[in-house]
Amino acid sequence: METSGIPTVVVAVAAFEQPLKKMALPRVLLTPYLLGRPVGPVDDAQTQRSILRAALDLLVSADRPTMSHYRNS
Amino acid sequence: MSETPEHKETFESFRKSFFYGTRSDMNFKFLAHLSDNQASDFFQGLLARLMDAYDSGDTGPVYEHIRQNQILSYAQEVRAIYDTGPFTPMKTPLSQTRLMLLTSSGHFVEGDDPNPLGMENMTQTQAEQQIQSFLKESPALSAIPVDTPIDRLVVRHGGYDVRGARRDMNVNLPLQRLKEMLADEVFAGLSDPIYSFVGACSQIRLLKKDGPLWVQRFTAQKVDAALLVPV
Repeated sequence: METSGIPTVVVAVAAFEQPLKKMALPRVLLTPYLLGRPVGPVDDAQTQRSILRAALDLLVSADRPTMSHYRNS
Repeated sequence: MSETPEHKETFESFRKSFFYGTRSDMNFKFLAHLSDNQASDFFQGLLARLMDAYDSGDTGPVYEHIRQNQILSYAQEVRAIYDTGPFTPMKTPLSQTRLMLLTSSGHFVEGDDPNPLGMENMTQTQAEQQIQSFLKESPALSAIPVDTPIDRLVVRHGGYDVRGARRDMNVNLPLQRLKEMLADEVFAGLSDPIYSFVGACSQIRLLKKDGPLWVQRFTAQKVDAALLVPV
């Protein structure tokens, strides 16, 4: 998609950090949750919105390939 | 594999049995990629933390222990390596951005089952049992209209524990959350439909054939950016 001109941001669980590093993706937000639940815990809308907001901030702010860890404040 | 008088199960076969074996469990299939020593440490640590949780009421360390071992396991897996990748800068402010969502969570709309492997009404158990067949097949892209009622969304994926997603789709298909953020004008638009597929598929076909075709479709929807959620 990047090659076609569509900027992308990935939200994934931190367990995938090493495999994702090897893929040279443009923007990756890693989250501290168990497999299958990258956008946050069940029924935790506040955390889910916070993660999505962090991902969109990364989409806009990154000026080079960037991998960040989401920190739940 | 359970023990019989003729065959004693080894610890190696025990820990591998969680990986689509007799004790198949998507949350613990990572045990197959740990060494015997690492898996032993995992179980010892898990049991200790369970008892701590019994006394303290705090189960957080239990989940964190599981999570750290998931990380350890996946860090040891060999995957494709790319030296460089493309990077397209954002051209629009977020407030003016039309966003699309693509997940590999295996969601689809009831009545629009992609019928993988030519099977109708495949269950989650069947999907896990057929995982090796899935990995040889092209993925099917499911289009999900953004106004789809929650109770018409189905999730099925042979590669991870879907129970969290069945309780709350937003854990990996954050449609409700994105609609709320759209209503708050965080971004300008949400591309309709959103998309999902089962990431356990032929990666070669995804990379070489299906993925490029999908991108043509996404590009035609004139999106400004994409949120990708691999599961």
